Amino acid sequence: MGFGRITALFQRRTLRRLPTSPDLGRIFRLACWIALSLSTPALAVEPSSHGSVKGNGLDALREANRVLEEEIKLASRPRVYWLLDLSERVIAIKARGVELHRFPILAWHMAGGGSVAELFRLRARPSVARPKATSGDEASQELIELQDMPAEYELAFDPPLTLFVAPPAHERPWLWARSRLREWFTRFASWGRSVVVPSQKAAGPRLRLTLSREAAQSLAWSGTEGMPRLIKNAIPP
Amino acid sequence: MEVVRNRWLTKNAWAAVLVLVGALPIAGFESGAPREPEREQEVNASGIARKGAFRLEGLRIREAALKRQLAALAPTGSYIIVDTARNRLYVRRRAEVLVTAVASTGSGTILDSPDRPGARWVFDTPRGEFMIQSKFMNPVWVKPDWAFLEEGLEVPADPAQRVEAGMLGDYALGFGNGFFIHGTLYTRLLGKNVTHGCVRLNDEDLRSVYRLADIGTPLMIF
Repeated sequence: MGFGRITALFQRRTLRRLPTSPDLGRIFRLACWIALSLSTPALAVEPSSHGSVKGNGLDALREANRVLEEEIKLASRPRVYWLLDLSERVIAIKARGVELHRFPILAWHMAGGGSVAELFRLRARPSVARPKATSGDEASQELIELQDMPAEYELAFDPPLTLFVAPPAHERPWLWARSRLREWFTRFASWGRSVVVPSQKAAGPRLRLTLSREAAQSLAWSGTEGMPRLIKNAIPP
Repeated sequence: MEVVRNRWLTKNAWAAVLVLVGALPIAGFESGAPREPEREQEVNASGIARKGAFRLEGLRIREAALKRQLAALAPTGSYIIVDTARNRLYVRRRAEVLVTAVASTGSGTILDSPDRPGARWVFDTPRGEFMIQSKFMNPVWVKPDWAFLEEGLEVPADPAQRVEAGMLGDYALGFGNGFFIHGTLYTRLLGKNVTHGCVRLNDEDLRSVYRLADIGTPLMIF
């Protein structure tokens, strides 16, 4: 085998291994796909924070004081309110500054921009089918109990804030998936509205809470129309 | 083929440049003005640190004051808490729990009015903060319209026909709009949501609550 032949063979093999135009297209598509999968939250071009931040320092103290100031205003009048403490991962039902009940938040995720440093009022509690009262023995009547409340739902507040509540994926995979779908649909609908009517007000922040089934049902149970909710945001250290 | 290879190499070179440019800030490289002398930086840093500490202290003092202000809003005497989800009633004084009782609260059912189309009763225990407005011993029940309609009876014109003794136990504590904390004949239903909005207790717990609560005692229902 002559030197020239070896060189020609080498060149042919090397060139064969180099990507051709269709290969480059495939590589480009693959790269795009990987980038999309890895950067879904970033693609939304919106701030998002997760339940792992637990703050301290100046900003956390400022936030704590802001919440205390708001809570004093709420507690000075006779009413029951929710305090959602993302830094401590807890939802407290309170009145007059007294904690009546608390549920742990297993995980949370906030997205959609906008501020949560406001007082939000619940527009409507999750709907539940109410049976009709019947005459006769009370024990045999159809009733609404805690177990009848939904464990996966969406709560809308004024000013705009949407709260998605669902049990963890490992506990109730179907409910978890439905909640994600609901969130995605809400986001898509909001985007659609903003495209059609550009002057429309923003949909506000979206907060996803993962609660145990019982806690999710208790939260749905305790909500009443117009009930105030105060959010203590988690400040990254 | 040569053209394709050259294009590919050019693109890769550009990609490498982009990656390098992107990695510079991550690696800690900065462009811009030259660094200031170290001493000046130290002075500035200590000044900022002092300011930060001062601010932090101020915020801590403010936080403590706000916490005291909030704590002052809590009831000073006894207060009643009703958990309608778990059908429990508690009497507390500050953080101390004086009574824990199994209760019955609203069933959440509905009853449509036959006379007024669209009008309906919803048998929920109201939620929010209330206070004890009245206290009765040996109360009698003045049956409201729904009590007759639910039984399929006509609402009597004579008010005397509405009165029923012995249904509410030995005591009743009113908290507004016709809602009461009272006793029950159906103790086996305690712990369930079966009432028309009132809060039912057994005789012993009712006696304790009656003794501890005065008119004006806060009642928090959730």
